Amino acid sequence: MDSILLSALVFSPIVGILVLLFVPKAEEAAIKGVGFLATLLPLALAFIVYFGFDNTKETLQFIEQHKWIDFNLQSLQNGGDFTVSYELGVNGLSVLLLLLTAIVSTLAAAASVWIKDQTKGYFLLFLLLEIGMLGVFASQNLLLFFIFFEITLIPTFFLIGKWGYLDKEKAAFSFLIYNGLGSAILLIVFIILYMKTGTMNFTGLSAFLSQSPEMLERMYIGDNFRLGLLIALLVALGVKLPIVPLHSWMLQVHVQAPPSIVMIHSGILLKIGAYGLYQFGLGFFPGEFEKIAFWIALLGVINLLYGAFIAFVQIDFKKVLAYSSVSHMGIVLIGLGSLTDAGVQGAMFQVISHGLISALLFFLVGLMYQRTGTSLITHLGGISRVMPITAGFLLAGGLASLGLPGMSGFVSEFMAFLGLFKVMPALAAIGTLGIILTAVYMLRAVLAITFGETIEPLTKIKEARFVEWIPALVLTLLIVLIGVYPAVLSDMLQLTINAMMAGRGAVV
Amino acid sequence: MNPIIWLIPVLPLLSFVLLLLFGRRLKEASAVVGSLLTLGSLILSVVVFMGQWGGASVKQTAEWLAIGDTVLTVGYEINPLNALMLVIVSFVSFLIQVYSKGYMHDDDRFPVFFAYLGLFTFAMLGLVISPNLLQLYIFWELVGVGSFLLIGYYFYKSEAREAAKKAFIMTRIGDVGLFIGIILLFWQVGSFELDAIFDAVTAGDISQGWITLTAILIFVGAIGKSGQFPLHTWLPDAMEGPTPVSALIHAATMVAAGVYLVAAMFPLFEASEAALTTVAVVGGFTAIFAATIGLAQADIKRVLAYSTVSQLGYMMLALGSSGYVAGIFHLTTHAFFKALLFLAAGSVIHAVHTQNIHEMGGLWKKMKWTAPLFLIGAMAISGVPLLSGFFSKDEILAATYADGRFGLFWIAVIATFLTAFYMFRLFFLVFTGESQGKVKKVQESPGVMVFPMVVLGILAVIAGYINTPVTPILDDYLAQNPYLEIHHHESYWWIPIVATVVSLFGIFMAWLVYAKKKVKRLSEASPDFHFILLNKYFIDETYDYSFVKGTRGFSYFWYYIDRFVVEGVIQLVTGAVGWISKTSSKAHNGQVQLYGSVAFAGMAVLLLIVAWLGGYLT
Repeated sequence: MDSILLSALVFSPIVGILVLLFVPKAEEAAIKGVGFLATLLPLALAFIVYFGFDNTKETLQFIEQHKWIDFNLQSLQNGGDFTVSYELGVNGLSVLLLLLTAIVSTLAAAASVWIKDQTKGYFLLFLLLEIGMLGVFASQNLLLFFIFFEITLIPTFFLIGKWGYLDKEKAAFSFLIYNGLGSAILLIVFIILYMKTGTMNFTGLSAFLSQSPEMLERMYIGDNFRLGLLIALLVALGVKLPIVPLHSWMLQVHVQAPPSIVMIHSGILLKIGAYGLYQFGLGFFPGEFEKIAFWIALLGVINLLYGAFIAFVQIDFKKVLAYSSVSHMGIVLIGLGSLTDAGVQGAMFQVISHGLISALLFFLVGLMYQRTGTSLITHLGGISRVMPITAGFLLAGGLASLGLPGMSGFVSEFMAFLGLFKVMPALAAIGTLGIILTAVYMLRAVLAITFGETIEPLTKIKEARFVEWIPALVLTLLIVLIGVYPAVLSDMLQLTINAMMAGRGAVV
Repeated sequence: MNPIIWLIPVLPLLSFVLLLLFGRRLKEASAVVGSLLTLGSLILSVVVFMGQWGGASVKQTAEWLAIGDTVLTVGYEINPLNALMLVIVSFVSFLIQVYSKGYMHDDDRFPVFFAYLGLFTFAMLGLVISPNLLQLYIFWELVGVGSFLLIGYYFYKSEAREAAKKAFIMTRIGDVGLFIGIILLFWQVGSFELDAIFDAVTAGDISQGWITLTAILIFVGAIGKSGQFPLHTWLPDAMEGPTPVSALIHAATMVAAGVYLVAAMFPLFEASEAALTTVAVVGGFTAIFAATIGLAQADIKRVLAYSTVSQLGYMMLALGSSGYVAGIFHLTTHAFFKALLFLAAGSVIHAVHTQNIHEMGGLWKKMKWTAPLFLIGAMAISGVPLLSGFFSKDEILAATYADGRFGLFWIAVIATFLTAFYMFRLFFLVFTGESQGKVKKVQESPGVMVFPMVVLGILAVIAGYINTPVTPILDDYLAQNPYLEIHHHESYWWIPIVATVVSLFGIFMAWLVYAKKKVKRLSEASPDFHFILLNKYFIDETYDYSFVKGTRGFSYFWYYIDRFVVEGVIQLVTGAVGWISKTSSKAHNGQVQLYGSVAFAGMAVLLLIVAWLGGYLT
């Protein structure tokens, strides 16, 4: 069954790129309009994939497979032919991530109205970035994954470096160097895997690597070798997630990049790290993952607390959110490290949930910056009086972020901790300190901005118009939907996670 | 699905949504919408409550979330305890909304206020009907948000902001205890369902140590929500919210949720003597501790707030002494007389525009309704015979004595004296003597505010008769719970007499000090002690210097580590790379001599390596 739906989805932003090429540079309004409309096509296709996905089957769906590259290396012992195919396909998790990507991209495109100059170049890169992100989640093969992964890097580099704030160049270079190093390690791991196994297909690799240890040992893929590969993966993807202490670059990006790009960056790009850890780490090396599960959970708790403590003393709201992202990605590690159904599902929930919440919060940062010209907590204050609706959304976003029940953050946090308490109760108990700290830093920042006396220069600001807060409304509704009815996600994830865990006889 | 039951919480939720969307257009009509929908909940609650007499408990659940093979559910369960709570909550909420129509009259965010009240009522009713701990936790947090929003209702005041933040964070500290307790129980029992947990406890499937641990962790949640020591400091500050909110959330309903939680989980607590003792000691200590602070406060609402903390301590003491019925009984009567006291205080504040009792006085004649109603409330809480508080407090004292906790019994008796004293201190300072206030033309509040007070006043008088030694209605009613064994202790004829004498003595002393002015006030008699009480034993300051400043210092420490060490290492690495490339680019200077010598040196090194590897050197 060969459908081209996924290819169409992944490459659909090209339509927008082509149209944009014919719009004159000076027609800013037209460019913004086309740029926004262009994201609706992948959005529509992502919804078709979402509704077309049969979540009662645990197999990959919408599979596409074409022979792509074929070469022969005589000199190698296992010699033979090497083929790389063009392979796309989705499981429950990647369907959700594709949909998340499409939604956040559309909303970020809407938030791009605040981009002032050279909008044509901006939107061309923006759409290219979207292709990369969609491709990453639809790929079923290492090479394709890697290519799309690299495609996300380059547009992001320019988008930060050109349209960011004061220190944008430095941030863009940090971004490129860190992620470049990360992807170099990733590439090495991929190549080793390919040379050792002769396949690049995800399913093929999982199957190959699940042979008995003796078999693998004979093929020079012994226990320690696999452990080494997993740790290399952890470092490579740890840059992306990020895992403390590999996080410095993302702080700069959060602060310096334009809000619309941070929505994408924090909402989607960081999630590639989590997705990779799940798909490759857990998928290829389940046994080794189990060996270092404690350390992964420990790193998770460290991330959680480290980010939370530091977020407490930041005066730039963007930095609060940046450290908050570090902290929240800790939950992903905690869930994965628990290696329980509950924990892994919690981690995946957190990936989606944090994508929506951080997109919401950064959208609001952009909205406020547009009017006040600042994101410093000390320069904002009492905006509830002048912008009651924006302030209301900000409060809702803050509450979602601190894991209020009824919103998506709670479900993921709860499941991740449920899992961790099963296997490492002491570590989990230390981690719960993060639940308190998140409330402390979030409320401190959000209330300082919204409540209190309205600071003098802010008294004349106008509330956002209705169209401006539609993205915030959409995101808030999605966050509440997941919080109230988590089955919208779990129905999609169930079988995928079960299949993943089944290989290792998991507990709840 | 029985629509009568699930509509109970849904109606206030509807009110929240409607008012949020259309509040601006509805304006003052918001109060009507909110009150009518809550009245709907009240009527349905009464129907459900009636159905509980002799009826078995009802339970209905639906799938919420599947994790692996485990299915988590949501739904509702009605048993004698929560049917009673439903009525109390919806009833007080309805009266408060009626009252608020008058109290919040000229507020420009009027609809928002009623929307928040709807949200709170929804969450509280949802909490009460939860059949499992997870759902209970969800609503537990949501009532916290309702409380948070309403404390911070006057958001432009920085005190309100700080109070709201404090309330959220302090209760969240407790909530984390509850969170851990629930999860640990889940891994012991394999379910969040209350009946599954009780079955496991009864069957002895859980070890004693786990029962004690989880019960105490759950109690930590109750400590936070019910303002028990040492997490009580948020409750007095919560008085920054509008007074009707203080009456509803911070007196009658939400703060009682902690007591409700312990009562709802009572089979678990009963299985552990250590857990019960913890509950009793914390409750007893809080009862007397908060009562002493109440002696010295000058803000009318803060006195009532400390009084609430103290009374909640009584309820905990009762539960910890196996006095299940006594605790619930006091929760019920307290809901009525404390809501009454707050509403009367609100009526006074509404009239004189101050909360400082030293700026009031002489209001007895000017407020023909409020003053006697306040007096009824004060008499009820003080335990004046034949009013509601008298019966419920005697029950608690008797339960404590019967349980053999004699030390706590006498502490509770002394707290009774203090309660009577501080309540009548308030009464005499506010209503008798000469007017000290600036507002000369004091007016009684409008009928829409007086009506709820009258209703509560009547209940404050008669609510006690649901459980007298002669008419043990509540006893029999609550005993229908299959997991509970209601302890019937012998009645002690002397306890009511001692309690009455002590509380009347308290009233008499207050009269001597504040009305007759025959005896020196505490501030004159013992200024140092008064100073300590006035500053609430400096607990806020202690927390500020230890936890708050400690956390901040710790955070800065890590922030600097992040900035200088983590970034520093990176700078070092990039710097080193830069240095190497710079140095080597310097070598490319175009001089043949240098190239030649480098090439020669390189060849020498290569030869050396080859020689080494070839084994020529060894």
